[in-house]
Amino acid sequence: MSEYSDKELLILFRDTERKNFAFNLIIKKYQQKLYWHIRKMVIKHDDADDILQNTFIKVWKGLDGFREDSKLYTWLYRIATNESLTFLKQQKTKYLLPIADYENQLKETLESDVSFNGDEIQLKLQKAILELPEKQRIVFNMKYFDEIKYEEMSAILDTSVGALKASYHHAVKKIEKYFNEN
Amino acid sequence: MSKTWEDRIIREDYIMDKFLEKLESLKETKSNPFKVPEGYFDSLPTRIQDRIATNENRQSIFSQIRLVIKPQLAFAAAFIAVALIAVTTLEYIFKDKTKLPASTGVYTRIIEVDASEFTEQHFIDVLLDENKKSIDNKKNSDCYIDFLVDENIDYTTLIDEL
Repeated sequence: MSEYSDKELLILFRDTERKNFAFNLIIKKYQQKLYWHIRKMVIKHDDADDILQNTFIKVWKGLDGFREDSKLYTWLYRIATNESLTFLKQQKTKYLLPIADYENQLKETLESDVSFNGDEIQLKLQKAILELPEKQRIVFNMKYFDEIKYEEMSAILDTSVGALKASYHHAVKKIEKYFNEN
Repeated sequence: MSKTWEDRIIREDYIMDKFLEKLESLKETKSNPFKVPEGYFDSLPTRIQDRIATNENRQSIFSQIRLVIKPQLAFAAAFIAVALIAVTTLEYIFKDKTKLPASTGVYTRIIEVDASEFTEQHFIDVLLDENKKSIDNKKNSDCYIDFLVDENIDYTTLIDEL
């Protein structure tokens, strides 16, 4: 069965009788991309699972009002990104942790996480990424891992292409510095 | 100076390009280090749909409860509104009664009764007394002015002293 395009999925979703079927297809189409995007931000699988489910619940509630000013894919990524950032913010305020402490916690989680089985260099890269400020981390992950174009990233993050390029450049420099120092 | 700066930029760019190449090869040669539980993505759509259904059921239960208690709530609200209006009206009526001014006839009678207790001479004395007080006041004022003139105290000095 060939994959439905976003436009076809939206038409299906607007048909009351096929709404659930269409939504199921949307989840299947985007679940992995969104999961990895979220997971790289929050590190733990359980947290990523919660955020992903909340993301799709928000999508279900908001899809009727989606006006197609942007692509469905861009909209989904934006919701997932916002949900991840909100989660991280909540974690910091919940435990009254300074940013650096929370990132150290995430690094420790990475080392002890049984669902992370990367080798030494992959662990080092993930730790270096965790040293980045959240926005830079998102930009780096989207460009490096998800290979999203700057123009699309600009629509998702509502940031200019120039600022995103600069952000990516800074992120790479910081990661390089981390590699040289550790 | 400018040449050194340019050289430094070119060298930094070169190092960064080399590092990016290293990162790219790392991405190509290594698999995703993060893992998910077995069958996670297969079961996810069903779990999400279940959560949505549960949320919607809960919402419909709430809306049903609201439908049932809505007339009772409306009745209670109407009762409270009527009670408030009644209390306010009664308060207004009683407040007005306590502050009800005496009629003109009553005032005339009060004046007549009280006036009967005084003789004409009483009224003349009171009026003379009032007149005397105002004359005294005037005398006092004249004394003050005379004093200021005698002491040669001008207006500015007076204000400063005050």
